[in-house]
Amino acid sequence: MKGLILKDLINLKKSMKTLGIMLIAFAVLYIPMGNESFLSGMVVLMFAMMVITTMSYDDMAKWDTYALTMPISRKEVVLSKYLLLLMLDLTGVVLALVLAFVGSFFTGTGITVETLMSIFIVLMIAVIFGSVLIPMIYKFGTEKARLMIILCAAVPTAVVLGLAQLNIPFPAIDNEETVFGIIMIAMALISLVIFFASYFISVKIYQKKEF
Amino acid sequence: MNAIEIKNLNKNYHDFQLKNVSFNVPKGSIVGFIGENGAGKTTTLKAILNLINRDNGIIEILGMDNTKEEKKTKEDIGVVLDGCNFHDSLKTGDISKMMASIYKNWNLSAFQRYLKKFELPENKTVKEYSRGMKMKLQIAVALSHDPKVLILDEATSGLDPIVREEMLDVFMEFIQDEEHAILISSHITSDLDKIADYIVFIHQGEILLNEEKETLLEGMGILKCSEDDFRKLDKEEYIRYRKNQFGFEVLINDKLALKKKYKEAIVDGVTIEEIMLFYVRGER
Repeated sequence: MKGLILKDLINLKKSMKTLGIMLIAFAVLYIPMGNESFLSGMVVLMFAMMVITTMSYDDMAKWDTYALTMPISRKEVVLSKYLLLLMLDLTGVVLALVLAFVGSFFTGTGITVETLMSIFIVLMIAVIFGSVLIPMIYKFGTEKARLMIILCAAVPTAVVLGLAQLNIPFPAIDNEETVFGIIMIAMALISLVIFFASYFISVKIYQKKEF
Repeated sequence: MNAIEIKNLNKNYHDFQLKNVSFNVPKGSIVGFIGENGAGKTTTLKAILNLINRDNGIIEILGMDNTKEEKKTKEDIGVVLDGCNFHDSLKTGDISKMMASIYKNWNLSAFQRYLKKFELPENKTVKEYSRGMKMKLQIAVALSHDPKVLILDEATSGLDPIVREEMLDVFMEFIQDEEHAILISSHITSDLDKIADYIVFIHQGEILLNEEKETLLEGMGILKCSEDDFRKLDKEEYIRYRKNQFGFEVLINDKLALKKKYKEAIVDGVTIEEIMLFYVRGER
């Protein structure tokens, strides 16, 4: 299974490079504007998306059929993708923290709780995002799942925008810290549950699959 | 002792089915698996590799059930599928690193030896390889974890005649170890004329023929005759016949017996391709 993750990382090398250049460009653009929390959020999501990239690479090479002729169980193939998702999410978080730190250094404000919180929230969104997409790709294939990816991104955005329209007050950090804390913990738990549930669903789907 | 044993394999798709497929791949031998496109070759190979769920039937590899001891059996199998399954951006070094953590017996020096032998450059990515090089790479990987059984699905198609011959030599060398065995599907039947010990012929999901190659080629023959002569033949004396503008071509079971009976008959030898054609296109 180590080999599978290694293969994915090698395949991602090129996209990582492109991503690195993009990041530097964005950093130069956004940090002076004091917008590092937006940037940090984007970094995490971009890294999370890379799992999907590896799955479409696998698809193009008809890799899974071949991999399953090796002494690798179907469970391990699925597990490798979830581990990769976690690894990429965490790498994204580390990079986001670095960016936030560098940003705060330039703007002189220091890392704000707000920035840390936004990174945390985006991490959870990234975990949920990946957890929803992986089983969908296993079920429908990367081609059909592409449309769903767009839907996946559009639906939460629409909900958030809709809520904003309704003027429901977003939990503010300074006056209702305890409420906010509870919401955060609940979100963390929910994303964990979704992550594990997603893994088991994917294993189920993958074990029934014919190659 | 058999390297692979398939007993009564059945698999239903809505438009195609494998019907009671049974055959063996004895150790120390090469079994050529032939049939038209869509006859069930790849489906059978996939069942052996447990890539599809079969409806019923038993498959044993080196005496082990292929579903119950899947991992153990797969350590001993080298597989080449139709086409290249390595990602474009990989280099041979990457592949070796990956395989070393997948196969217990991955043999780096063997892999490098094959790379050299097959003239595969280590500094190029798979994307830059030609089709033939990709196929050779797959074969090199399949051979480099000390496998006992090779399963090759159209592994020689797409190769030029010279490289194909080179690969056939490699397969022959592999089989010199009496513990080894190869199951090779191919529609380049001339390759099988050269290297196969047994021929298994599948047609519309059913095994039509399962015979030692020498027996087939020594026994069978093609009789060319007129319609009148053809009418004199007994049903048991021929397998299939084909009519053309010059007369009849008849695939016969036992050319020596026929020659004894009809002294003046012209009976030619037969190739695997002709046998296949007669079975599929000929009439009973």
